[in-house]
Amino acid sequence: MATDLRISNISKIYPGCVANDNVSLQFKSGKIYALLGENGAGKSTLVKILSGVISPDNGEVFLNEKNLKLSSPLDAKKNKIGMVFQHFNLFETLSVFENLSIDATEDNKSLRVRINEILKKYNFNIELDVPVLNLSAGQKQKVEIIRCLLRSPKVLIMDEPTSVLTEQETEELFISLKKFCDEGILIIYITHKLKEVLSLCDEVAVMRKGKVVSVSQTQNERVETLANKMVGQKLAKIKKKINISKNKDEIFKVKHLNFYSDDPFETNLVNLNFSVKKGECLGIAGISGNGQNELFQILSGEIITPDTSIIFRNKEIAKLNPKQRREYLMAFSPEDRISQAAVPELKIYENVALNNFKSSNFFEKGLVNERKIKEHSKKILSDFSVNTDNVELKSQFLSGGNLQKLILGRELITAPELLICYNPTWGLDVGAINYIHETLIKINGQEKSTILISTDTEELLKLSDRIAVIYKGKLSKIMPSEEVTPEKLGVLMGGGSID
Amino acid sequence: MIKIEKRNDVPMALYFFTPFIAIILTILGGGIIFYILGFNPIEALKFYFITPISNLYGLSELLLKATPLCLIAIGLSFCFKSNNWNIGAEGQLTFGAIVGGGVALLFYNQEGFYILPLVILAGAIGGMIFALIPAVLKTYFNTNEILVSLMLVYVSKLLLDYLVVGPWSNPEGFNFPETRQFSDSSRMPLLFEGLRIHAGIFLALAAVMLSWFILYKTYLGFQIKVSGLSLKTAKYAGFKGKTMILVVFMISGACAGLAGVGEITGPIGQLHRMISPDYGFTAIIVAFLGRLNPFGIIFASMVVALTYLGAETAQIFLQIPKYTGQVFQGMILFFLLASDYLLFFKIKILSLKKNELRH
Repeated sequence: MATDLRISNISKIYPGCVANDNVSLQFKSGKIYALLGENGAGKSTLVKILSGVISPDNGEVFLNEKNLKLSSPLDAKKNKIGMVFQHFNLFETLSVFENLSIDATEDNKSLRVRINEILKKYNFNIELDVPVLNLSAGQKQKVEIIRCLLRSPKVLIMDEPTSVLTEQETEELFISLKKFCDEGILIIYITHKLKEVLSLCDEVAVMRKGKVVSVSQTQNERVETLANKMVGQKLAKIKKKINISKNKDEIFKVKHLNFYSDDPFETNLVNLNFSVKKGECLGIAGISGNGQNELFQILSGEIITPDTSIIFRNKEIAKLNPKQRREYLMAFSPEDRISQAAVPELKIYENVALNNFKSSNFFEKGLVNERKIKEHSKKILSDFSVNTDNVELKSQFLSGGNLQKLILGRELITAPELLICYNPTWGLDVGAINYIHETLIKINGQEKSTILISTDTEELLKLSDRIAVIYKGKLSKIMPSEEVTPEKLGVLMGGGSID
Repeated sequence: MIKIEKRNDVPMALYFFTPFIAIILTILGGGIIFYILGFNPIEALKFYFITPISNLYGLSELLLKATPLCLIAIGLSFCFKSNNWNIGAEGQLTFGAIVGGGVALLFYNQEGFYILPLVILAGAIGGMIFALIPAVLKTYFNTNEILVSLMLVYVSKLLLDYLVVGPWSNPEGFNFPETRQFSDSSRMPLLFEGLRIHAGIFLALAAVMLSWFILYKTYLGFQIKVSGLSLKTAKYAGFKGKTMILVVFMISGACAGLAGVGEITGPIGQLHRMISPDYGFTAIIVAFLGRLNPFGIIFASMVVALTYLGAETAQIFLQIPKYTGQVFQGMILFFLLASDYLLFFKIKILSLKKNELRH
């Protein structure tokens, strides 16, 4: 029997963030649907609503025109909606069979028969009696899939299934998914990987900032058109005046930056080499999750990688921690304002003291010099037009824009030679974005350099002198920004190559 | 439908007031339990909370029990504030007592003003070393400090057992599981004739002042505060995370060691199997009841010490087991956590009608 799943006007609002804004979509069995979007676009929220983990504030879900009340994961199971999450929900020390029998309703003998049928039918090669911890990520995922199949699902939702898989395992997964699809299971495939959408799916819905921005047939799409839809590229090109930095000295030089992580949710970086000249802004574009987090942390010194060489103002700084790097006049503005760059529960002046450079004398002989810190904070608040002059205010009462101004002010008031910022305007209103863009352009004018890691192509084209694209932990060649077009960036961001 | 939401702004005054609410609820809860057990609740509560401290001796006993609780909780506040979950203060107390007691036994037949300071110092170092084990394992091998510190409690208790029945047992002790009595030079001076309260209380008060200074006036205190709120921020600011873990564990272990050595050189006067009625565990409640604030901890240690005393009087006058003390300690923690939950979250009851209309 054909399955028809309809989502109607779903909204979910978290404090300070609209995760799903009036989302309506329709799915029919016999096709594989992609739900595409950047991290934070609202895909996961939608999926959690479909699987009953959270309830929407508004809106309804219909399965074959029956209005579903999904108030717990159990409801989703009852209605034959199966879900494979990005993070596995398996007991590592139990065997595969024990994991599968936990929520089974039949006796072990018939369960084993049914599991073996599934294994044979889909050509899955898994030992049932070994502990799950001995399995590879791909095999664990298959166990999760079997768990869904045992309940003969009508809908199977896969959340970022390939983020932990090898290429080989990914191919196997795609073959299985196509089989399920042929058998009439409706498949919803959530991802931010463009190539997978094109090779696997029939129809694609793109989400951005909680909204569905496009629904289309994948055969009419290319990597770059999808990339542009995902990041919301407007074609207007506002470029800043290009610095004449051709003959300037290189102030910052990275050689052989490699990063390997055991954590499958981190991205490995492969042999990154680049340099920044005095007064220059180097933009690093890319769809989020391609290694930007790791790159920022390595440049700031939060992660120290062996064998990497980072030369800053003729000194080797690769082994220094963030505090030591600040002494050499580097400054950092991370993506995560609320839980990394600042602590909301701390007062403004306490957050200012986080950038404790040597000449600040914030902490003389290990003691807090509150008067100095407060004076310094007052200056930041007025110089960077933060809309308060109360340094005792807890930072959580600042709006996103004002908090970002405070952070940038804290980093820039020391007149650093190099500022590294990651998505500095993410989630801010237009006024704050303009202020921050002007500030970044101004410091380039003062012969100070910036590295701008951003997922916002418009911002990159506006601010950068040269741009490179990071994709799967690899850096494209670095291009002068006057040669770069949004289309070119789209191709590179999707993993394609130009010329 | 019930919905739970985080409150954006929690008033500081209320934050320090909720422990009192928890205490009041604990007393009410205790009254109900006494009523169910068939006692007159008012009278029973009087035996529990008033009688023990209605005379000078009782007050001295209160301070005597509050001293180790306060010391340990002060140390723990350093760990807890910086997101390090040292659950093994009882073990650090025991090991501090073993090392301090060992030094005291070396001097069992000698007198001298230098002996007590040596014993105290040895106790603090003992606790510090024992606390370094989970700290080093955490920083260099990524182990979980909760498990390691907790399991080490049993290691130290078994070591103490072995020592008092084996190599350190009193040769003239008729095989009782205890060591020799310490010499008078190894004993804490008593503050008043006839009362058991001893000079150890000054150690606790000094720890309070010192910890207040470190936590609120120094760079170390600032780093502890930031790390406790956000480890990501601490990393970003470039704090030396590993060093800080070691330091807070050392402070915490030293305080627990001091508490241990205070017990054996104070009221006990020798080593035996039962040197602490789980002060190290109870101090965890004290630390949280005192909001990890040095002065709050003074107050909390006296409240919790009273549950120990009350349990003893209740055993004598009402013939109920002294383990009711633990019931009261448990209730304090329970009500504190419950009121904290209501403090940080609000519960919204959405009208069902609106939902029904939609369907």
